[in-house]
Amino acid sequence: MTISFLVSILVLTVIKSVPIIFAALGGVISERSGVINIGLEGMMVAGAFSSVVTTYYLSPILGTTYGPLIALVVGVICGAAIGWLLGFAATRFKVDQIVAGIGINLICTGGAAYGLVLVFNQPGASSSVSALGGPNLPLFDLHAGAVALLVFAFVCALGLNWVIFKTPWGLRVQACGENPHAVKSAGLDPLKFRLLAVTISGALAGLGGAFLSIGELNIYSDGMTTGRGFIALAAVIFGRWSPWGATGAAIFFGFFEALQFELQGHVSWLPADAMTALPYVAALVALAGVTGRVRAPAADGVPY
Amino acid sequence: MKRALNVLSGPVGPLLLVVVMMSAVMIIAGSTPWAGFAALFGGALGGTHELAETLAQTTALLFPALGICLAFRAGLFNIGAEGQLLLGGLAAGALGANFTGPGWLAVPIILAAGFIGGGLWGALAGWMKSRFNANEIISTLMLNYVAISIANYLVAGPFKSPLASGAETAPLPSSSWLPSLIPDTRLTIALLVALAIAGILQFVFTRTVFGYELRALGEAPEAARRNHVDINRLTWMAMGLSGAIAGLGGAAIVSGELHRFNTQLSPGYGFTAIAVALVGDLHPLWICLAAFGFGILESGGLAMQASAGVPKDAIHLIEGIIILVLAAKRFVSTRVEVPAV
Repeated sequence: MTISFLVSILVLTVIKSVPIIFAALGGVISERSGVINIGLEGMMVAGAFSSVVTTYYLSPILGTTYGPLIALVVGVICGAAIGWLLGFAATRFKVDQIVAGIGINLICTGGAAYGLVLVFNQPGASSSVSALGGPNLPLFDLHAGAVALLVFAFVCALGLNWVIFKTPWGLRVQACGENPHAVKSAGLDPLKFRLLAVTISGALAGLGGAFLSIGELNIYSDGMTTGRGFIALAAVIFGRWSPWGATGAAIFFGFFEALQFELQGHVSWLPADAMTALPYVAALVALAGVTGRVRAPAADGVPY
Repeated sequence: MKRALNVLSGPVGPLLLVVVMMSAVMIIAGSTPWAGFAALFGGALGGTHELAETLAQTTALLFPALGICLAFRAGLFNIGAEGQLLLGGLAAGALGANFTGPGWLAVPIILAAGFIGGGLWGALAGWMKSRFNANEIISTLMLNYVAISIANYLVAGPFKSPLASGAETAPLPSSSWLPSLIPDTRLTIALLVALAIAGILQFVFTRTVFGYELRALGEAPEAARRNHVDINRLTWMAMGLSGAIAGLGGAAIVSGELHRFNTQLSPGYGFTAIAVALVGDLHPLWICLAAFGFGILESGGLAMQASAGVPKDAIHLIEGIIILVLAAKRFVSTRVEVPAV
C-alpha cells in the first residue's frame, strides 16, 4: 500500500461516486414525495445517451467547450422528461409505480440501443465524442469539468437538504410521502408535488448519467450504467432517505467501485470476477445491514 | 381527453398503439411499415423453421416469465430472473458434463440441477427479504451482477472444459440432450415442460392453500399476517420457487440447444420475461400467449433488422411502452367501471 495507490483510489472513488450521488439524490426527492423511482436506471441511460448524441452533433459547430456543456444540459432535460413521464403515470393514472418504473427502464435502454444504430450506424457503442474537459488540475489528475460536477454534486446535496427540511415546499413534499390525504385536507394538491418531485428526480439522474458518458468517459455504450440506478436506490435506503445520508452511502458504494478497478491490476490472490462483483456485494450487505433501523416514508409507493 | 382514454381502454387500444409505435420506429429507421411488418412476420411465422425458432424463443421467455409471475403474485418484485436463469444453466451444465449414471436419468437430473441452482439463488433474495427486510427489487438486481461474476469465474476456471478454447463447460453427451420437437431446430420438448408448468401454476394459484396464501400475501399482506400466514416462510419459498422455474429455463437451454454451458446463455430473457409476465397480467395461461407474442417480436426482430434495416432494439423500446400503457390502462378501465355521480 503506497501513498500513490491510496491517492489514486481516492480520486477514483470521487469519480465513481458522482453519478451515484446525483441518482441517489434523485431517489431521495422522489421517495420523499411518495413515488418509488425504479426508473432511475433508465433516466441515467436517457441522460447518458442524449448528452452523447448532443455533443456529437453540436461540438463540431459550437466547439469542444460549449458543445459538451449544452450536451450536459440536454442530458438533464431528457432525464427530467423521463422523470415527468413516470410522475405523470404515477399521479394522473395511478399506475403501479414499480411496474411503471420497469417499463421506463425498458423504454430507455431499448430506445438508446435503437437510437445508437440510427445515429452512429453501429450497435453496442457510440463513436468517441467531445467530452467535458478543461485543464487538468494538479495532484489529482482530474479535468476541471469533472471537478466542477463533483462540487455541484455536493451543492445539490446541500441544496436538497435545505429544500426538503427547511422550505415550505419541501415540507409539503415530505407530507405527500407520509400522508397525501392530509396534504389534500390542507387544500393542496399532492399530485402536483409528486409530479414535480419525480421530474426533479429524473433531472438529477439524467445529470448523473451524463457525467458517466461525457464527464468520466467520452462514449455511450449499451449497459454502461451497470445497475447504478439500483445502487443509488440502495444508497437512498442505506442513507435513510436523507440527502446527506444518501450522498454518504453513494460515496461508500463509489469507493467499492474504485477499489474494484484498482485491485484488478494490483492483487493476484483474488479472482478478477470476485472484484467485479464487489460493488454489488457491498450494496447487498448494506441493504441487509440496515435492517430494522430504517423507515421509509409511510406513503412511499402508494398511489394517491 | 377522457373520451380518447375510454376508447383506448378496450383491448384494441394497446394493440393499436403497438402497431402505431412499431410503424413509427420503422419509418424513423428509414423503412416502411409495410416492409417492416412483412419482414417481422415473415421472419417469425413464414415457415416451419421460422415458426420453430419463434416457439424456441417463446419457450426461453416462458420459463422466467412464469417464475416472475409466481413472485409478483406474492407481491415480491423479482427482477433477478436473468441471474437465476444463468445459475440454473450453470448448475445444469456443470452436472451434465460430469454425469455418469444411466442415460434415462440424465435429462431429469440436469433439469433438477437447474431447478435447484436457480431456486437457491432466488431463495437467497427471499431470505434476505424475510430475515433482513432487504428490498427484493434492489437485491435481485444486484444478485444478477453477482451471478454473472460467479458464472464467469467458474466457467473460466474450475468448470472450464480443458478441450474448449473459450470459457465453457465440457459438452453434454447426446444422451442428456432434450429431444427436439422439430428436427434440426432449437425447438425441444422444453416447450411442453413450460406449458405444463403454466398449468401447474394456474392450479396452484386457484386450488391450493399455498397459492391462496401467496395471493393473500400479494394482495393483502396485513390480512395475511393477521390470519397467521407464516410470511417469512412464504417469502423465501415464493422467491425460491420463482428462481427455480427461471433456473429450469436455463437448464432447458443448456440441455436443449447449447449442449454445454457458457455465459452467452441468455441475451436478456430474464429481463424481457418481466414484460411478458406483466403483459400476461400475471395470469399463467395469458402469459403463455404473451410469451408467444414476444417470441414473434424477438425472432421476427432479427429478420426485420436484416431485411428492413430497422434496429432490433426498437422492440425493447416498444415493450417498455406496452408495459407503461397497460399499467395506465388498468386504472382507466377501473375508472370506466365506476360511473361518475
